Amino acid sequence: MRKPWQPQQPRNWWLRNPAYRRYMLREATALPLLLYTLLLLAGIVQFSRGEAAFATWLSWLQTPAGLLLQGIALAAALLHAVTWVALVPKILVIDSDRLRIDPRHVLRAHQLGALAGNLGLIVATLWLLWPTGGA
Amino acid sequence: MSDTIELAVTRYRPEQDTQPWEQRYTVPCSDDMSVLDALNYIKDALDPSLSHRWSCRMAICGSCGVMVNGEPKLSCKTFLRDYREAGVLEVRALDNLPVERDLVADISGVVEHIEAVKPWLIRHSEPPVDTAHSQTPAQMARYHAFSQCINCALCYAACPQFGRNPAFLGPAALTLAQRYNLDSRDEGSSERMPWLNAEEGVWSCTFVGYCSEVCPKDVDPASAINRGKVASDINYGVNLFRLLRGKGDA
Ligand code: SF4
Ligand code: FES
Repeated sequence: MRKPWQPQQPRNWWLRNPAYRRYMLREATALPLLLYTLLLLAGIVQFSRGEAAFATWLSWLQTPAGLLLQGIALAAALLHAVTWVALVPKILVIDSDRLRIDPRHVLRAHQLGALAGNLGLIVATLWLLWPTGGA
Repeated sequence: MSDTIELAVTRYRPEQDTQPWEQRYTVPCSDDMSVLDALNYIKDALDPSLSHRWSCRMAICGSCGVMVNGEPKLSCKTFLRDYREAGVLEVRALDNLPVERDLVADISGVVEHIEAVKPWLIRHSEPPVDTAHSQTPAQMARYHAFSQCINCALCYAACPQFGRNPAFLGPAALTLAQRYNLDSRDEGSSERMPWLNAEEGVWSCTFVGYCSEVCPKDVDPASAINRGKVASDINYGVNLFRLLRGKGDA
């Protein structure tokens, strides 16, 4: 008579293998980004409550806790972007009788796009905030 | 060299045991000995009651998969020499599957998933018998890697989503669906798309990617599944369009 043993996935399955730990780290980058989003939302709320409230929020950003949160969020965003873009050639394969694009070019295009987007954002921010003297 | 190495084998004998337990064996270790050789040595010389599966001894039949030190491996393609440092090899049946006995995992669920996606050429019209389905090398290259699967189920042992939910069609089945959908001779993708689109289809995959790392035939199932997500998206758009025009699913 058959009596197969039914294994149960242990709760800590993801601790048991480096590949799973890397995966969980990639997925966990969502958490610091959530906190950062809440931080920005808090900023908007404080802004609507007047100058003093907003100034308090701004000064909190400079505290060690504020800087730590922003640093972790930045690292998480970078890790997420780098690992995600690295996977693109495995997902977006353009190869048909009519059109074929080398996977390396697909990867490069995404890397350049990410770089251009981020640099563009930084330049646009600096340009908007630049003290234009008397403005 | 007359080295020896220790194997810690997880045993399960359904007649006597209520749960798996570990038994240690000391086996000879030489540079050319595979884990399968070690298991056969145990079976022949030390303990005939040990059960394990194998056939071809050359990474073709796909029947000898086990976990070696926590990683899914073909035991015939894994060598003792690579574990000399570790000293002990922990060998157990493939993860995420019911264990029939000792190192024998029950892969019938996986086989059912593979069958479900109709992994064969589907044609609406057969060409005359004296002609062949011609295909260019470029057309073949599109699915060739995906056709190398030997149904060893290592990717299922590697997949935490399958471990969570055995209804998930899983890496090999979804890869085979893609393999036939990408074949220029095939006309059956409309019969496979419902499986890709289903809850148990490509969308249950979260791109852990370990399946592709453990695959002994470099099939890259993670890529096949995630390309399946693109195909599923396109299929959704096409079906929406056809629905608006009062037609059936593509
Ligand atoms: S995709 Fe690779 S690991 Fe999975 S069953 Fe096929 S050969 Fe084995
Ligand atoms: S014995 Fe056939 S794949 Fe290992």
